[in-house]
Amino acid sequence: MSTAQPVIRAERLTKTFGPVRALDGLDLEVAPGEVHGFLGPNGAGKSTTIRVVLGLIRASGGHVELFGGDPWRQAATLHERLAYVAGDVALWPGLTGGQCLDVLGATQGVLDETRRADLIDRFELDPTKRVRDYSKGNRQKVALIAALAADVELLVLDEPTSGLDPLMEQAFQEVVRTRREQGCSVLLSSHILGEVEALADRVSIIRRGKTVTTGTLAELRRHTRTHVHAVTVDEPAGLADAPGLTDWSSERLDGHIESRFSIDADHLDAVIGQLHHAQIHTLTVTPPSLDDLFLRTYDEEVPLHDVPGLEQPEEALR
Amino acid sequence: MRATGLRTMLGVHWRTHRSGTLVWILALIASMVGTAAAVAGLYTTPEKIHTYAAAVTTGSALVAINGRVEGIDSLGGVIQDESGFLMALLLPLLGISLVAKVTRREEEDGRLEAVLGGRVARYVPVLAGLIDASAAILVTALAFTLGITFCGVPAVRSALYAASLGGLAFVFAGLAALVAQITRHSRGVYAWSLLVLTVAYLLRGVGDVTKTWVTWLSPLGWAEKAAPFGAMRWWTLLIPLAVGGLLCAAAVLIAGRRDLGSSLVRGRPGSARASAWLRSPVGLATYIHSPAVLGWLAGALIIAGMMGALAKQFVGAVTGNPAMADAIGMSTAHPEDGFVAVTQLYIAIIAMGYAVQAVGSLRGEETAGRLEPRLSGTLSRMGWIAAHGLVIVTGLVIIVAVSSVVLAASTAWSMGTPLHLARVIGAGAAYLPAELLVGGLALALFGLWPRAFPAGWAVFAIVAFIAFLGPGLKLATWVLDLAPTTHIGNPPLGTVKALPLIVLSALAALLAATAAVGFRHRGVPRG
Repeated sequence: MSTAQPVIRAERLTKTFGPVRALDGLDLEVAPGEVHGFLGPNGAGKSTTIRVVLGLIRASGGHVELFGGDPWRQAATLHERLAYVAGDVALWPGLTGGQCLDVLGATQGVLDETRRADLIDRFELDPTKRVRDYSKGNRQKVALIAALAADVELLVLDEPTSGLDPLMEQAFQEVVRTRREQGCSVLLSSHILGEVEALADRVSIIRRGKTVTTGTLAELRRHTRTHVHAVTVDEPAGLADAPGLTDWSSERLDGHIESRFSIDADHLDAVIGQLHHAQIHTLTVTPPSLDDLFLRTYDEEVPLHDVPGLEQPEEALR
Repeated sequence: MRATGLRTMLGVHWRTHRSGTLVWILALIASMVGTAAAVAGLYTTPEKIHTYAAAVTTGSALVAINGRVEGIDSLGGVIQDESGFLMALLLPLLGISLVAKVTRREEEDGRLEAVLGGRVARYVPVLAGLIDASAAILVTALAFTLGITFCGVPAVRSALYAASLGGLAFVFAGLAALVAQITRHSRGVYAWSLLVLTVAYLLRGVGDVTKTWVTWLSPLGWAEKAAPFGAMRWWTLLIPLAVGGLLCAAAVLIAGRRDLGSSLVRGRPGSARASAWLRSPVGLATYIHSPAVLGWLAGALIIAGMMGALAKQFVGAVTGNPAMADAIGMSTAHPEDGFVAVTQLYIAIIAMGYAVQAVGSLRGEETAGRLEPRLSGTLSRMGWIAAHGLVIVTGLVIIVAVSSVVLAASTAWSMGTPLHLARVIGAGAAYLPAELLVGGLALALFGLWPRAFPAGWAVFAIVAFIAFLGPGLKLATWVLDLAPTTHIGNPPLGTVKALPLIVLSALAALLAATAAVGFRHRGVPRG
């Protein structure tokens, strides 16, 4: 994977809009065949990065390559090999969903007819309805079907499921997996961690126009903590000051000892041993989620009062 | 019923729409007071006024266009006549646009939902919109009164004149508010209101020409019958107040009772597939621009048909009255040519308005977020703008050609003479470079400074003002020269010289090229 030419490579990207610095030295690399999660809170610069990568806007500084070419100069040629779903899906209100699908499909190049029909079924879209009568989720479906039915090497999806219900989200994930198995690369921007967790091979997390961390999910998880909830017969010995353990709490419940704590990956084995000695009654081990990763990443970067909730944009601080 | 949230809504409207509203009011005041001042400067003696009055009351054509002004033999009467056509168009538009912006447009874009989710009663946004519009109309009317009085017209008469125009705007504000409750889209509000305005204009025209009660059927007629410079019928102001008030009440009542986002007119299902034509860049561009082409073409056809139908009376009036010919700047040697020339200028301004609006819809595609996905495919920016340019220019040619044919046909029918098709079409075609120049300017704004696009409409307004009223008001030559239409040579009455056409065409091409280069190098979308 590392020897092949990356599908997208961006290095030290900067982009300023007047006094606003939207991108501030951002790095991003998407390898062929991978689903790359692109995570960050609202206003972190995800859409700006994508627009630079697509050659819709020009970077103020840094270097960007799309399929090894310059997206600003060769936009139309390079676009033959990708399909894009914008963050805010806007369609022509007077056209039907099916007509918009075909227009978008023609924009992107070749639309696979069987896949188009299959996806319309799968997403339960009524293609004869006018776009102005569609809900937000249905408009989103039109853009998604157009992109997923296209015969391309790369899918660029900017917060693609923001209007979909959980069932449709499930369908979306299945289709993306199938496309990946067929060899398609995906850049998936999102602030919904579950979705990225379910799909992504590698993840880049950005904040305030900078890449904070990047790697495979396994790599990233190594730096995060596992949550443990254990009920034991005896009091587990020496847990409180075991290395790598934090947030410890313990109480007596119905003659058993209930312990809760979190532990880093390197010390998990030792601690489970200690629990075993105290005779395990029930044990729940929750692996680190991207939520932990997300919050932890931001924790390190910003002062405490400044930790953003996932849905809270930076504007909330002002 | 308590108007919960009325103060909040008024505050919201003020904050979000004040600049647009102020521009509207200032533009109206400038054109009204400007016209009045120019008339006052031109018709300085009773003799001059008398000559003018004698000229325009002979024959029916000018009566049909500007209205039958009672008391035309006075300074105020001349002002009312000179601004008759423009004010009949602009004041209803003021009422319509102020209301449409804050009612159906807000609902369509989903902002009304957010507002009604708060402590605002359902009917309050409409009520607030009508209060805004009424306030704007009141301010405009007061400024009209002051401005016209300042030009030397008795204050009482100025006040009645301004009030009659304010009443006209109020009727159309109420109409737009009602239509906004029963159509689904703000485009529909404009379409239906403008249709009513067209009918009102035709009824007033028919009534004035035939001197019958038909005039009383039209809101434009009510304003005219106030006769501010004649008999001064103050009581006629009650008609627009009552009708406008009823329309407003109906709108507020319906708004309080209907569901959010619902209306009487519903969309039907359509085709599940796009044709190969619609999928092509030119095909989609055609789809995007055809409503504008049809709308402006309809406007041009109404003018061409109406003017053509009145050709005989018009020509008869001119051949019998050299003073009138002089007043509207045509010679008696070619009365029919002069008549076609006047109409072709109207059509040229309409075509120019179409060009600006069509370029504006490119900007609309961008701000709506549809340009971004369009350019993220295999279509290059040059390809996109070229496809749209081709369609816009084709639409322009269609508007000019079709309305020229209709003008030629209706004139021939009215005069009972054979068609002079080539002559009429040639005159229309001669204006194309001027129309392209203004369109090119709008396109350059879109390519280079998209946010400044509204300046394109300002240019259009200035050109239209100079073209319509400049010669009549005898504005300075350098002012007249600012409008590209001045350089065409008033065909078929005057002779068209090649050089100005070439220069205008070259400038238009240069602007289009600049636009393309600018568009090629800027970020998309730019907010």
